[in-house]
Amino acid sequence: MKTRREFLRSTVLGASSVWTVPMFVERTFADLHVGARDLATQAVTGKDDTILVVLQLAGGNDGLNTLVPYEDDAYHKARPRIRKDAKDLIKLSDGIGLNASMPHLGEMYKEGGLAVVQGVGYPNPNRSHFVSTSVWETADPLARSNTGWVGRYFDNACPGADPTVGISLNKTHPEAFGAMKNPGVSLSTPELYRWIHGGGEKAEAEAFFNSLNSPDAPVDGASIDEPPTGKVGGIAGESNLDFLERVAMDARVSSKKILELASRHRSSVNYDGTPIARSLNMVARMIAGKMPTRVFYVSHGGFDTHNQQINSHDRLLGQLDGALKSFFADLKAQGNADRVTVMTFSEFGRRVSENASNGTDHGKASCLFVAGAPVKGGLYGRYPSLTDLDKGDLKHTVDFRQVYATVLEDWLRTKARPILGKDYGRLGFMG
Amino acid sequence: MLPRAKNDWTLEEAAHLVRRAGFGASPAEIRRIHELGRKAAVDSLLAPDEPIDAIPLPEWAGPERAIAERRERFAEMREARMAQRGMSDKEREEARRKMQREIRRESQQRLTSIGGWWFDRMMHSRAPLREKMVLFLHDHFATSAQKVRQPGLMLDQNQLFREYAFGDFRELTHRIALDPAMMLYLDTQTSKKGQPNENFAREVMELFTLGEGHYSEQDIKEAARAFTGYQLNRITGEVTHNERQWDDGAKTVFGKRGRFDGAQIIDLLFEQKAAAEYVPSKLWVYFVEDEAPQAIVKDLAATFRAGGFRLEPVLREIFLSRAFYDATVIRNQIKCPVQFVVQMCRELEIDDLPPGYVLAAQRELGQQLFFPPNVAGWDWGRAWINTNTLLSRYNTAGVVTKGAVNAEGVEDEGGSMMEMAAAGGGPGQQIVARLIKRSMDHWEGPDYDRIAPRSLRERPAELVEALIDRLFQADPGKKQRETFVEYARSKKGVVFTNHEVAELCHLMMSTPHYQLC
Repeated sequence: MKTRREFLRSTVLGASSVWTVPMFVERTFADLHVGARDLATQAVTGKDDTILVVLQLAGGNDGLNTLVPYEDDAYHKARPRIRKDAKDLIKLSDGIGLNASMPHLGEMYKEGGLAVVQGVGYPNPNRSHFVSTSVWETADPLARSNTGWVGRYFDNACPGADPTVGISLNKTHPEAFGAMKNPGVSLSTPELYRWIHGGGEKAEAEAFFNSLNSPDAPVDGASIDEPPTGKVGGIAGESNLDFLERVAMDARVSSKKILELASRHRSSVNYDGTPIARSLNMVARMIAGKMPTRVFYVSHGGFDTHNQQINSHDRLLGQLDGALKSFFADLKAQGNADRVTVMTFSEFGRRVSENASNGTDHGKASCLFVAGAPVKGGLYGRYPSLTDLDKGDLKHTVDFRQVYATVLEDWLRTKARPILGKDYGRLGFMG
Repeated sequence: MLPRAKNDWTLEEAAHLVRRAGFGASPAEIRRIHELGRKAAVDSLLAPDEPIDAIPLPEWAGPERAIAERRERFAEMREARMAQRGMSDKEREEARRKMQREIRRESQQRLTSIGGWWFDRMMHSRAPLREKMVLFLHDHFATSAQKVRQPGLMLDQNQLFREYAFGDFRELTHRIALDPAMMLYLDTQTSKKGQPNENFAREVMELFTLGEGHYSEQDIKEAARAFTGYQLNRITGEVTHNERQWDDGAKTVFGKRGRFDGAQIIDLLFEQKAAAEYVPSKLWVYFVEDEAPQAIVKDLAATFRAGGFRLEPVLREIFLSRAFYDATVIRNQIKCPVQFVVQMCRELEIDDLPPGYVLAAQRELGQQLFFPPNVAGWDWGRAWINTNTLLSRYNTAGVVTKGAVNAEGVEDEGGSMMEMAAAGGGPGQQIVARLIKRSMDHWEGPDYDRIAPRSLRERPAELVEALIDRLFQADPGKKQRETFVEYARSKKGVVFTNHEVAELCHLMMSTPHYQLC
């Protein structure tokens, strides 16, 4: 009779030994050799790369009360009860003021580290939260793409990268990460990002666990290039079980790495207790721990201000400001400020006129922020007219894919065309 | 009409019905249902012998109690205002804050208790399909306590879903339009003539009845005018239509012109072709497979329309259809988090799980009852699973089986896990986490003497077979089976204690296979 240890070596692990060297590690080396030569992109090298933090303002941020055209009579007329006066604002340029709940972003603007892109939107806008969020995340105005714009960046520009090339701190995996090959990983608390089990003989229990959480057969190289299905980047024709096995594998392997560095770095800067501050704190810790991550995704929710919006909207912007203040201070203390750029987005702006509930309904174009030391600050795009409206909504002056193209080309240093399908031109806000 | 499956069926098919049309069950219960035959089993699910009010509401809930309480609350506030007259601004502000804090605390406590109340019902109900439909409707007419903030109203809505679980869906839509929780959630009660709020008008078309693409923006704008003037009395919970706030002008919706009110708009919605297809298609996805084939939707839509939009005939057709029992369907659905935990409890024959932990688990796994993320409800299927939630599921299994609890004298990782989850959340959450940990320490866990009798533990292969029956009700695959058996053998050693059975169950659940039902 075999001893337990012999068994472990011979059967369970033996049968799946190819999986003890994870699929992606094997791919990494092979692809780096081939890929680095063929593609005009930078291979993933870890700690020196540029990093993008995508920050979602979920619910539809009211751009008009974020970046306020306070000298425009049409603004005051449309919003008699929820309007902002010059005294409620941080003046950025003639007639344009930033909501005063964001003093830190105001400072950054003065120091040249904040770009505000005005009038961002897309043709034939959709006022559904869900459809419009899909549009932004897939960079497809028809919301029919199965992959996300960030996921396509991973597939196109990060060959052989391990799953931690993209990390989302959301409970649900963002559509933007949907990819054919590598959709990144999600986590919320690094310390818990592992299989916690009881009893002694831990190493052996883990060997059994590892075997059970490895795919039964190598994933067929041909099928992996099939278009994915569903919102989160499953592969077409793949059964739910195949999908689960892939995620299990990614979880198991990335868990080891993340756990190790989570125990290593603690921030020297204080963060607020808000969810967005906690998320950004975690991002900062992972950056300090030298994760090879190129894109982080965090979310700040509650912007669907149909009702009594003044206090809630200001509070949300204040939370954003506080979180970013700590985050940038943290990066500076680490010496990583020059490597990180934050880009916000929201599925749509809001109606120009307030509604009967002292709130605003779903609208169209809005503004967004690009912030960080590498950013060339200022106002970009043109503020949409408040009198020449599209059914009561602002008409966009900048296509959101121009923003993505700028970030992809000038920050992540990759060709935007294969990712966005077309050339959209760049806005010049990256230094 | 979908081709029907014959009345004879296998135990595996019976287990499939029990999982999908409910939350799974113990091996004995599955055998009992199998013996009924397919048709009688489906009949019994659709005509449960458990009355809707069989399980009492929390003592503070129920419409009358709630009205009385809201009265008291208003009276208290009035008194407080009187009492504050002599105070300075600062004192008054402090008194106001204190009162709000108390109200918040009580409301928070109750919100906690309703999530636990419903979960408990799912665990014990003798009407599992009804509870599963209530979950469907909660997701379909998604309303979050986060915004509504009144736990009593959330419970009233939940009971409404129970009442209509197999009933007239059109009538339910009418009731939902005037449901206080929904009115607060989608701002109907503040929508007035001249300044209509489009929130409800949009979602009733996009999410509740027709689906995206079956209406125009103009239809929404016009319908929003019809849904004006509905008012909610905050004390009695009564909803009235205030003619003066109602836009009584003519509106054009779906090509028809009239001085419509909200109810007339809803009737118009059900005249649209899409209304017969939308809900049956969602039901198919919810109960059967990730995509609803067009041919099947057509059949179900005919049934739905012919039955006057009653849900029961559609459900019966689904559960008696051959397609429902297809080999590609069985064990190929990703459990939603609530299903994952409830089914685990039913399979392990657990009677009660500490309510604090129930809530913590719902939050960790991404599906907190009464708190859907937005008006579209949760994203289902593969969207439940990512690296984070998958590991959280494995760790939840570790806590519920007690397989992740270390032998005595060693640090308890199951508990510290909860503390860590709360570590970022400030002192309040850490206290809660400690309380939960204590309640889990005192909680007995599954009765392993019953689930895995000592005699069985002498024969690891048989033990694993019995556990596979209990936890998978199907073959989990050769490699999995062999690994489970070898693990059981490796554990056999000197004594096979309950703790080691727990570890074995935990390992079996820490697999991709266990995420499927």
